[in-house]
Amino acid sequence: MSDTADRSLVTAASQRPPLYRDAVVVKWFAQVVTLVLVIAALWFLADQAGGNLEAKSISTGFDFLEVDPGINLNGTIDDEPDTGGRALYAGMVNTIRLAAGGILLATILGIVVGVGRLSNNWIVSKTSSVFIEYERNIPLLVHIIIFFAVLTGLENFGDDVGPINGWLHVSNKGVSVPRLHIADGFYQWMVFIVIGAVIGNIVRKRRQAEQDDTGATTYPLGSMLGVIAVFGLIGWFLHPIFGWVGGIFDAISDGIDAVPPTVVQLLLTVVAFGAAAEWIRRFLNSRRTPAGLAKLTDDDYFRMIFAGVGAVIGAVFIWIIWPGGSSWLVNSGRDLFEVLGDKFGDGRDGGPFGLGQPDFEQRGNFVNPGPGGLNFSQGFAAVFFGIVLYTAAFIAEIVRAGILAVPKGQTEAAQAIGLRRSTMLRRVILPQAFRVSLPPLGNQYLNLTKNTSLAVAVGATDLVQVGQTVYNQTGRSLEVFAIWMGFYLACSLTISVVVNFFNVRLAIVER
Amino acid sequence: MESTQLDPQTQELLDAAEAEVAVRPEEPSLPPFEWMGKNLFGAGQGSTVAVVRSTLLTLVFAALGLFGYRALLNFIFSENTDWNSVRVNLRLLFTQAYPESDYHRVWISLGLVLLLAGVGLGLMKVGQGISMKKLATWCLGWGGLIIAGVFLREPSVLVGDDGTPILADADGVQLTRDGLGTLVYPDGEPAPSQGLSVVRESFGDAISSRTGWLAIGLVLVAAAAAIWFGLGDKRRRSTFVPAIPFSLAAIGALISTTWWYNWGNYTFSTDEETGVSGFNFEPGEKVAETTRNPWTIMFFVLLGAYLLGRRLSGTALEGKVKAFLTLGWFLAPFITFFGILRGPELDWGYVFSVDVPLWLAFAVGGAALMWLLTKPGIGEVGRVIAVLVLAVAAFTWIAAFFGWFGMLQKVRLSFLIMGLAALLAPNFIGEARQRLTLVYGWLGTITIFHVMVTLINTPSSIEVPTEDFAGGFMVSIYVTVFTLLFSFPLGVLLALARTSRLPIFRLLATVYIESFRGVPLITMLFFFTVFVNLFLPEGMELALLAAVTIAFVLFSAAYLAENVRGGLQSVRRGQYEASDALGLTTVQRTGFIVLPQGLRVSIPPLVGQAIATYKETSLLAIVGVFDFLRMARDIIPNQPEFLGERKPALLFICVIYFIGAYAMSKYSQRLEKNLGVGER
Repeated sequence: MSDTADRSLVTAASQRPPLYRDAVVVKWFAQVVTLVLVIAALWFLADQAGGNLEAKSISTGFDFLEVDPGINLNGTIDDEPDTGGRALYAGMVNTIRLAAGGILLATILGIVVGVGRLSNNWIVSKTSSVFIEYERNIPLLVHIIIFFAVLTGLENFGDDVGPINGWLHVSNKGVSVPRLHIADGFYQWMVFIVIGAVIGNIVRKRRQAEQDDTGATTYPLGSMLGVIAVFGLIGWFLHPIFGWVGGIFDAISDGIDAVPPTVVQLLLTVVAFGAAAEWIRRFLNSRRTPAGLAKLTDDDYFRMIFAGVGAVIGAVFIWIIWPGGSSWLVNSGRDLFEVLGDKFGDGRDGGPFGLGQPDFEQRGNFVNPGPGGLNFSQGFAAVFFGIVLYTAAFIAEIVRAGILAVPKGQTEAAQAIGLRRSTMLRRVILPQAFRVSLPPLGNQYLNLTKNTSLAVAVGATDLVQVGQTVYNQTGRSLEVFAIWMGFYLACSLTISVVVNFFNVRLAIVER
Repeated sequence: MESTQLDPQTQELLDAAEAEVAVRPEEPSLPPFEWMGKNLFGAGQGSTVAVVRSTLLTLVFAALGLFGYRALLNFIFSENTDWNSVRVNLRLLFTQAYPESDYHRVWISLGLVLLLAGVGLGLMKVGQGISMKKLATWCLGWGGLIIAGVFLREPSVLVGDDGTPILADADGVQLTRDGLGTLVYPDGEPAPSQGLSVVRESFGDAISSRTGWLAIGLVLVAAAAAIWFGLGDKRRRSTFVPAIPFSLAAIGALISTTWWYNWGNYTFSTDEETGVSGFNFEPGEKVAETTRNPWTIMFFVLLGAYLLGRRLSGTALEGKVKAFLTLGWFLAPFITFFGILRGPELDWGYVFSVDVPLWLAFAVGGAALMWLLTKPGIGEVGRVIAVLVLAVAAFTWIAAFFGWFGMLQKVRLSFLIMGLAALLAPNFIGEARQRLTLVYGWLGTITIFHVMVTLINTPSSIEVPTEDFAGGFMVSIYVTVFTLLFSFPLGVLLALARTSRLPIFRLLATVYIESFRGVPLITMLFFFTVFVNLFLPEGMELALLAAVTIAFVLFSAAYLAENVRGGLQSVRRGQYEASDALGLTTVQRTGFIVLPQGLRVSIPPLVGQAIATYKETSLLAIVGVFDFLRMARDIIPNQPEFLGERKPALLFICVIYFIGAYAMSKYSQRLEKNLGVGER
């Protein structure tokens, strides 16, 4: 490549290369051309879609959210939704139920299996391996469909359904388990718990300080939990005395209602520009060196321009695109506190929790699972257990990798200072393993959430399935697709934020 | 789905741990009882608690395992499980309703793939193989499982002369059927309609009817014992059976059974005269010739190719053959799918009057251009010419937009490819050999491109009841392969854009990657099958299979980009600085320094991505493609002979999916070891 080197020498010698070889010009030219091409392609597609929709006289817009979709769902919070928005909301609730329950169960099962695979006991480790390999190497959809086929092939549902009548029902109507639910007095009771937590935290800090000073074992965490438990126990009987808390929320609700929307718009605008200005200020500060402001790259300018443009877009959105947004915000705030006022209000003297057992209900000629237990329809049960077992296998591998990543010296050191095996696991191995496992664990949670969409294959009513029904009924396919994307992106974002929060907290503090 | 393979980092940790175990000096094998004491009953841990805990765990898990195993056996051998639904539908499962008259195309395609695989296996550097110790463990394990199964499975149901299970009343009195088929007591009394149950054979009868299985199990255990006690501990470990010949012999033995063992004749055929189609079940007959003969030929193709590979291994030709194999693997999907299986009906007159002259013009013209552009000392003129060619290409597209000159799409694309190749030319300036590389590359690319476009544009001659000729496992495999082929370059480009220093490229790539990774694959599939036609100009429609492949490619590229990005980030800063110091251009640095090192690191996660895609193709069943899963879930249970018979076929596809994914994951581990990733 000798002539390449020669060329660059020549370039350096002459003051300025020709325009079409100037790195800065070429770089920006290529980028702008690409951006224009992408925007043009998107514009072309959107234009086509508009034309096609018009030609087929398909109406567009989000008004279907307010109109009766004329569909029936099953196994949701609202089986006869009166608006399209309500139907989609019911689907979202089911998706979140699947995801949240699935994450909880899959994590527990995954940790058990992952530790089991490392067990000294041959048969435990072999059983865990077989489970993991079976789950990992067969597509999730096949697992779900097998669960579905097995459930639909079970015996008919009747009064004497098993395996444990009244506690666990497994039949061709799905699966029913007991349900622990919050009851009448839950929110007042929560007031007690919050007070207990505050006091408990103070106790914990004191005890921790004492332990650090004297070296005596003072069980800081245990005492905190004890305080909370005592408050919880007292609150179980005394919680109605906090009925007045509801009044506070009612007052806030009235206060919000009195705010005119224009004030909210102004406030939001100030916040948007303020945030952008603050961001730019901080950014410039971070680039400041003792020798003065460092030389800014194209990239830095781009970021600052981006922040400014973001604020302008925000303002345009607030004032022009959706001016009704501020009154919507005011109304939602008012409604939220109204609901809270009701939940915390007087006259709720039942217990904080209730237990529902699986039961039966006669609908027409058929016996159906009653409202007492937590009922999974066939499809719902198939999806739920399918994703739980599948994700558990992956979590198990992550846990195993995490444990194996703890250096052997840690184990040896723990043994050398005479820790018992259980203490060693709890205090030395698992905390370090958890730090390694957390980011991939977060990925698995994301995958699990997205995998709930496979419910559509077995007719369980998650967001995708409901969305499909809605667009078949109303023809608003693109709008439904936009809602899908928005919802799943929001879920992904939420999970990443939560995982990152813990990841930062767990990271090794380096000096 | 959703690319649920393990993250590269997790996989790396696991592999590192396994590698650590592998280099540890092996402990001598324990005698059986000591081994059991240590590994099952917690002996040697020095505390009673450990013994009790370990023994309890052993009992619980053994019970759990045996219970599951028993349930599986009971299902497989149950009188209610109709395995005929799988036996007669094997072709349906794998190739959908591919017509019998054209079935040789399937065999030719498979033969081609086996040929490549065989030569590749022959050339492969093999490790030590399977140690006798491992072989003995396998024999013992499988033999033990079979023997346990013989005793675990519940006794079979007794079947009467008419083929239906014999029933008994609540007191255990056996019932018979009278001439009209109604159930009666032996003395002619009518039987009650409730409280009936099937009659099972006695335990002793059950065991004696399974002596065949018992014998197989005992032979395996005996073999294990012979190896174990015949060879000392040291020799057990140091004696090896070569893995590939051993596997080939096993496959050969299996195929040879079709010639001398009567597995039964199960076919689906159409009567030539009446035109009526139907299933033929003939248990205890010779295997159908349409199965036996092609598979025998396939075996000999594989064997011959393997021997050829062995012969060539170590000769001067080896390098050339390897290069040829790589090209073969790259082209095989296109050739088999579009050239063979699709059965294009070429209009030879058109081919010779239009296609061939067009190809010749581009090939010769382009080759001349490439030769010219790589002339040493051409300098800036070369770039100007390249940009001019690109401008011509751009102009043909603009012309298409306004409808000015009618021309084949092929011509526009050829100009575009020529422009891109011309842009690459400055990298090949130098001696004749270097220049010829580009010329040959151009000739190869344009030839493949023209042949492919011609084949794809020709209507298919295969007549099937569905829209696409491909279906069953075939379609799952092809969607996987095409997805990987096309998403790879796209993913690399995205990764480069995301790690680039140019902000707009980075922004575009980030938005693309994150939005595709944020939504479930199934919604993208819905988008591309349901909504995409809204976005297309009038008169243009996307075929279902093309639409889903595009969805898979776009989706997979986003995940692949993240894997490649991980690899690119592992390239040390010094490499960039060194290439800058050498005065390499950005393109040269990326192409010759950064990508080769980055991609090498990302090969294992890329194989993980391949496994994920393979599993994700099962989602095709939801959007209306007749894929492997859909055959088992919807098609077979709707055949009048097998109404509702879903589970056997589902179990069968489970096994096939498992074999594919498991083989790939083992291959990835091997690859990782060979690449030595993580060791430096």
